[in-house]
Amino acid sequence: MQSRQAGYFGQTTECTRRVGRTAAEFAMDAIIVDQITKRFDSFEAVSNLTFSIEQGAVFGLLGPNGAGKTTTLRMLLRILLPDQGSIRVLGEPASGNTQDRMGYLPEERGLYPKMQVRQVLAFLGALKGLTEAEAARRADEWLERLELSPWATKKVNDLSKGMQQKAQFIAAVLHRPPLLILDEPFAGLDPVNAALIKDIMLELRQQGSTIILSTHRMEQVEMMCDSICLIDQGRKVLDGELRAIKKSFGKNTVRIEFTGNDDFLNLPAVIANVNRHGAVVEAKLRPGADAQEILRAAVARGVEISRFELVEPPLNDIFIEKVGHA
Amino acid sequence: MRKVWLVFKREYLTRVRTRAFVFSTLLVPALLVGYVVLIIAVTKRSADTTLKIVLVDESGVLAPAISANLKEKLQNGEPAVQVVESLEKPDERMRADLRARVLSGKLGGYLVVPQDVLAGKSAEFYTKNPGDLTRLQPLRRAVGEAVVSRRLNERGIHIDDLAKVTEWVDIRVAKVTLKGTSEESRQTLILGFVVALLLYGTLIFYGVSTMRSVLEEKTSHIVEILVSSLRPVQLLAGKILGVAAVGFTQFMIWAVSAALLSTYGISMASAMSPGSASSPIHIPLSLLAYMVIFFLAGYFLYSALYSTIGAIASTDQDAQQLQIPVILPLVLSLFFLNVVLRDSNSTASVILSMIPFFSPILMIFRLTLETPPLWQIALSLGLLIATTLGIVWFTARIYRVGILMYGKRPSLVEVFRWLRYS
Repeated sequence: MQSRQAGYFGQTTECTRRVGRTAAEFAMDAIIVDQITKRFDSFEAVSNLTFSIEQGAVFGLLGPNGAGKTTTLRMLLRILLPDQGSIRVLGEPASGNTQDRMGYLPEERGLYPKMQVRQVLAFLGALKGLTEAEAARRADEWLERLELSPWATKKVNDLSKGMQQKAQFIAAVLHRPPLLILDEPFAGLDPVNAALIKDIMLELRQQGSTIILSTHRMEQVEMMCDSICLIDQGRKVLDGELRAIKKSFGKNTVRIEFTGNDDFLNLPAVIANVNRHGAVVEAKLRPGADAQEILRAAVARGVEISRFELVEPPLNDIFIEKVGHA
Repeated sequence: MRKVWLVFKREYLTRVRTRAFVFSTLLVPALLVGYVVLIIAVTKRSADTTLKIVLVDESGVLAPAISANLKEKLQNGEPAVQVVESLEKPDERMRADLRARVLSGKLGGYLVVPQDVLAGKSAEFYTKNPGDLTRLQPLRRAVGEAVVSRRLNERGIHIDDLAKVTEWVDIRVAKVTLKGTSEESRQTLILGFVVALLLYGTLIFYGVSTMRSVLEEKTSHIVEILVSSLRPVQLLAGKILGVAAVGFTQFMIWAVSAALLSTYGISMASAMSPGSASSPIHIPLSLLAYMVIFFLAGYFLYSALYSTIGAIASTDQDAQQLQIPVILPLVLSLFFLNVVLRDSNSTASVILSMIPFFSPILMIFRLTLETPPLWQIALSLGLLIATTLGIVWFTARIYRVGILMYGKRPSLVEVFRWLRYS
């Protein structure tokens, strides 16, 4: 069932893509991953994985812990080399050359603890091909923008965790890469700083950058990503445009806002499972069930309904349905 | 190449700017200079004053001979030791008085020559500074000569100039080389040991520096960003060369200050006692060239090994333990210095100086002792360079995998499996 559906979605993606796009545009996919496999001894971290990312898109690489996300990202960046398969980046085979056109924010953060913030950034920018003077100039601009200017000549160690996080983000975007790979970019940031980073990401996208986002926060993916690839145990489970994926699941979920007792949700014939978020409840319908029965049950019990809406399932539910092994 | 240069530059600048570097670079020569100046000052000061003693001659016959034998002069022409008073049989009160004069510093000490000194009993010297052996030397000789000549006299042998009769004959050791003989064997021997120890210290010190640098990038996690920007082998090359350049800088500073110091020291020494200054150590150019080549090859061999350890380890403790197999051949090299010293042309010496992990130290040591056949030098160097290249290749692959591996220290078998990952 699962594998059949994966194939089905794979086809949908190909179809929706080809519609209205010329061959030239198709060739300009930012990333084309073709049947890559990576083994560590007998353990297959990534198995025969294939996906592509449209230029200018925000792409979510999703999966449970240990699914092979980091290994996949490392292969895109040519930190690791695939045992089989090929990777094309911005129209050419992945190489040391393509590395310079990518920016990377790894999940495990770290800069030289005893170097000055500005110097570290200038060094990392120069490694990506900028001249040292240009890298230093841009580092200053970005430090200003992320409100880190007073810390420019401080040692990395003297910065708080959140500030180090922002400095690390600068290291990823300093050379204005056409391709940006961000692993959990919002982890450890307060809402103000998270919004700041999000705005910059959207701005970079506006300027034409392609962004690969790897995160466990499904609501962020829903807000930001155009397309996703969900992997589990090194294999692709689901990929394609986010809207198309959600649509394919249909409006099988009811979002209810109410005051009163939630006894009325006890309708095993109609409701498969219930997600409670305080005042709001999301109830997933059984196939073919009639949502109106829930409404009738609520009215019969005298519950006051302020909102009753038939929606597509949240990505969180899709994720759990696809990779929830329990 | 540009990226190797960037890594090199960062590695060099951040290291040279640390307080530790400035201190160790300046402190070592400063301490050395201070030590030499102190020694010169102290010896000069004590050598400038006459040692005044009281002679207590219980034998009753030796006092004039002893006084006469104290002929040594200080630089300023004053006698080194002067007998200010001679006593024969002091009573307790006089002895207490002598002790008081020694303690107050008016008297350098008093010498007691016992009654049966001719039968072999020791003379005794009472002083506040029993450790000042150089100043006691003239005294010791004077007593010895007086006793010996007295004994000879008693047997009917008369000798005017005892010193001449009993003069020692020294054996000078000359080194036979292809260009004839030279007479610097002791110097070259000392040179050999100094160079061997210096190499040993340098290989370990800068090897460990390289290892720490690799480990620091790993534990701070920055290595993942680095290898997303350049090839691991570029990172490794920049790093090893950067640390090497730091060592080179330090050595140059030390060499210049040592040269200045020895020039100053020699002129100082010759001012104090003309003709006694040793000539500066003479190193043939070919030897110097061989030293540099063997040293560089050995340096890269060991720093590559050390960076492998940094890449394999996840913590300092891991690194400490993993170091042992790398330090072992270095320590063994020091042990084998003895084998080479005994006969630098024996089969054992020749074989040992061929083994790549030993040759950086042992071949250089052999070179300072003699000139081995050219084919041996060439073979040893060839093996060393081949091994170094092999180790660098091996290191680059291990490094590539190791820097991304955290957690449990891998077994040797696992490390060899890594060769297949990259």
